[in-house]
Amino acid sequence: MSSLTTGSGNSGFSKKTLLKGLSGFGKLLLFVYAVVTLYPLYWLFSSAFKTNQDFFSNPYGLPTEWMTDNIFRAWELGNMGRAMLNSTIVTLAAMVLTIIFSLLAAYALSRFQFRLKKVIVMLFTVGLLIPIHSTLVPLFIMMNKIGLLDTYGALILPYTAIELPIAIFLGMAYMSSIPREIEEAAMIDGSGWWGIFGRMILPLCLPIVATVSILAFLRFWNDFSFALVFINTQSLKTLPLSLSLFSDGFGTDYSLTMSAMAIAVIPTIVAYLILQEQIMKGMVAGSIKG
Amino acid sequence: MRPQRKIGLVLLIMTLILAACGGGQSSNQTGSGSSTSEEKVKLTVWHNFAGDDLRAQTVRSFIDQFAAEHPEVTLDAQAIPTDGYRQRLSTVAAANEMPDVFLVYAGSQSAEFHQANLIQPITEILDAHPEWRDSFLDGAFDPYEFEEGQFYSAPIAMSATSMLFYNKALFEQHNVEVPTTWDELMTAINTFNDNGVTPIALGNKAPWVAQSTIIGAIADRVTGTDWFVNAVAQQGAKFTDPEFIEALGYFKQLVDNNAFQEGANSIDNTQAEQYFIQGNAAMMISGAWTLTNLAASATEEQMKDIEVTVVPAIPEGRGEANTITGGAGGGMALSSRTEGKAKELALELIYTMSGPEAQKAIAESNSMVMYDTEIDESKVTPLYYKAFNLVKSSGITPVYDAYLSAEAAEVINNGLQEIMMGGSVEEVAQRLQDAQARSATP
Amino acid sequence: MPTAMRSKGFIAIALLPALLIFLTFVIVPVFWSAYYGFFSWKGFGDATFIGLDNYTEMLKDPVFWRALRNNLILVVSSIIGQVPVALILAILLSKNSFFTRFIRSAVFMPMVLSTVVVGLIWGYIYHPQFGIANYVLELLGLESWTRAWLSDPKVNMLAISIPINWANIGPYMVIFIAALQNISPEIHDAAKIDGSAGWNKLKSITLPMIWGTVVVTIILCISGSLKAFDHVMIMTGGGPARSTELLATYMYNSTFAVYRYGFGSAVSTMIMVISALLIGLNYIITRRKPS
Repeated sequence: MSSLTTGSGNSGFSKKTLLKGLSGFGKLLLFVYAVVTLYPLYWLFSSAFKTNQDFFSNPYGLPTEWMTDNIFRAWELGNMGRAMLNSTIVTLAAMVLTIIFSLLAAYALSRFQFRLKKVIVMLFTVGLLIPIHSTLVPLFIMMNKIGLLDTYGALILPYTAIELPIAIFLGMAYMSSIPREIEEAAMIDGSGWWGIFGRMILPLCLPIVATVSILAFLRFWNDFSFALVFINTQSLKTLPLSLSLFSDGFGTDYSLTMSAMAIAVIPTIVAYLILQEQIMKGMVAGSIKG
Repeated sequence: MRPQRKIGLVLLIMTLILAACGGGQSSNQTGSGSSTSEEKVKLTVWHNFAGDDLRAQTVRSFIDQFAAEHPEVTLDAQAIPTDGYRQRLSTVAAANEMPDVFLVYAGSQSAEFHQANLIQPITEILDAHPEWRDSFLDGAFDPYEFEEGQFYSAPIAMSATSMLFYNKALFEQHNVEVPTTWDELMTAINTFNDNGVTPIALGNKAPWVAQSTIIGAIADRVTGTDWFVNAVAQQGAKFTDPEFIEALGYFKQLVDNNAFQEGANSIDNTQAEQYFIQGNAAMMISGAWTLTNLAASATEEQMKDIEVTVVPAIPEGRGEANTITGGAGGGMALSSRTEGKAKELALELIYTMSGPEAQKAIAESNSMVMYDTEIDESKVTPLYYKAFNLVKSSGITPVYDAYLSAEAAEVINNGLQEIMMGGSVEEVAQRLQDAQARSATP
Repeated sequence: MPTAMRSKGFIAIALLPALLIFLTFVIVPVFWSAYYGFFSWKGFGDATFIGLDNYTEMLKDPVFWRALRNNLILVVSSIIGQVPVALILAILLSKNSFFTRFIRSAVFMPMVLSTVVVGLIWGYIYHPQFGIANYVLELLGLESWTRAWLSDPKVNMLAISIPINWANIGPYMVIFIAALQNISPEIHDAAKIDGSAGWNKLKSITLPMIWGTVVVTIILCISGSLKAFDHVMIMTGGGPARSTELLATYMYNSTFAVYRYGFGSAVSTMIMVISALLIGLNYIITRRKPS
């Protein structure tokens, strides 16, 4: 894409400087927008180190006294070490399942014509519309009957199921713009569908895999309702439950809440930064090929 | 008829298919802890004392004590965040999978659980310790006595919900008398407003606050307690009666005189407490929880100006002055499915968690109890000590949402917010009446 | 070359795992819950079949209509607020320099933060006494505009829609960036030769190429807005006096606050019916556009 701006070299000089000026102004706007958007992050981390009094009397500034102790107390009281391990296991497992199953399904749905296709697409569309709280009680009763309750599976399977529709739709939309010639060439080589999917399509899908991963990661990592209801055993509890421990309906211990949230947000930031690079790698690979 | 049965079968088949496909996650079943030998009894207890505050720590310590004293019990104690406690309990109730012992709130929640046969009486453990049973304050068992002489829980908290906290320094500075009558209150409100001080701090984002702390106290002073009891039962009194309209009118008078800070409906209780403690507001009408919260988060410097008294009298009204709305708070309940040896031990656990020692320790963690106990002044904050004695010397009148149906409570909660936004008093009264009538006559 | 039979086998095996999990853990519970919608049931104890009573009661309840109106405000504001902004950001930021990388991460940050943090910080921005919003207005000399943003029923739904849109732009931007990369370089070269750039290129090349993705994002906007829950629950809880109630909070409150599980199930079924209608409408509208 970077070639675009240089490509307009045949237009007049003045237009070029004007464009440059415009892009300078645009950059400034973007920068301001970014700062506004980053502010809550700053706010979260600075609040995490405040005492409760400081949090209220000085909500926007830096802590008057840095309470590093908050972090340790939140970590310990919220049993956050164990919770983070559980969250990681559940999130990664559900992510892997979501990606594999959704890409396969998206490929089948975007490349083939078959009888039940419309029905299946409709079914997945319904999946986009579901307010998750409405599935809580039926899922609880069902998983209780089959003994799935209170296991990692009680989170992994519903998470996967809930994320599948979005993942499939994004996958379908993305694959529909991959040219069919790629497969035709492969078919002449004698590859079967599995080979084509594994060797040709999957690598091309890296950006959408990364996109789906980010969305899935955030949803699974932050889910409160399922984690609250489907898990009983203390040692299986996930992070979001640790975050709401410090509020009892009559009052909230904001400094501990903020500390716990600051701890919990770090993995999501790391995950986002890594996955974002993957999205971009896909782009670089694409442009080199051209 | 149970709607879930038929579908359950279909589900079972589907899941078997799923499991056969290798999608089952059975390998994740935790082996640890479930390897109970025959004589070990498994007990689960759920509560919401999850936080870092003194009371939560105290209650948890009694659970630990029980576990230490009873090695024969595998105790699964779960501290569930309050935000999700109700939802969690409702969901397991749907599947009839209640834990053995769990915290219930006084009012509609425990009543609904009783009606659905999810809990059983704990009378026998009370009878086994008569000196304990008799030390509870009057009315402690009211919300839990669903049948004559059968008690379903013993409260471990008292909800004293309407105390008038005030900032002595601000009253002195602006030369205002601490109000003892409604007229004096209005004078104080106007004086503070003229001087740019918020008269009353209120954080009514969670809409139960104004209902629990303010309307109960005002209404009782206007209508008297008997009228309210009759209106709840829908016998000879209605919420559309002139006395209740008048009571709502007093609340509206507060709103119209800008007694509360702007946007009171969009800030939460903690924020309002902080607004008050920082000296931005002269008064705050709030409950015992404010004592617990302030003990945890306010400095001594801030606390030294804070005093506590009762809500001013309304001389024209039919109710008594010098009362505080309150009553039994939550208590531990026993699942109706717990039987035999497990039941015996579960009752023992309830006794440990709500017995005389626990009551005293909870009272000394800056939270009120429904139990006659002496507390050590040096262990609590001075403000709590004052409040503790104030409550002992005042009459107790009902809190609205402890008696109204869940639906009617929701209506009055939202109705008060509506009045604060300029809504009509009569309409709110009408809707409250409709909702209560619906649930009182099934 | 794969035979038709082999294709069939591939299709079946490719779809099977997704379908199985999805049917078991989403579709079955949904129909199950819809079934409860015909009962008067507290969520425990006995249930009584009452036919369509829950639905007729809902349609008569002014709160339901207010919630629906609020949801529609969110749908409209998210379609006009999120999709274009996300697309523009994606086009501007799909280069890979330090600057764009920084901005991209920043735009995405509100999504990374849990909704609780976003709700809390915006609660502070709108705080009637210490809020930044009012402070800025005062600085600009617009004191008459200051107000309690979240409790004034005239503006609170609008005030709430801003953080919701702001927080959700990130994922749409990422989705668009992924889609933009899929446009092959040959097409960019062709565009260069044609001399089309800027708006023209967007209209005649970029948009048609990623139209499938645009449609999906609009669908996600609609379904996401109708399911919106967390931000409102944290900022206002649906109040004051139910003025910011959404269908999902309406359902949640019916189910878990007043023990009307059957009614709550009817509401969630209604949410799905309404979303399905809107998405159908969206398909009809977007189909006319170039594909």
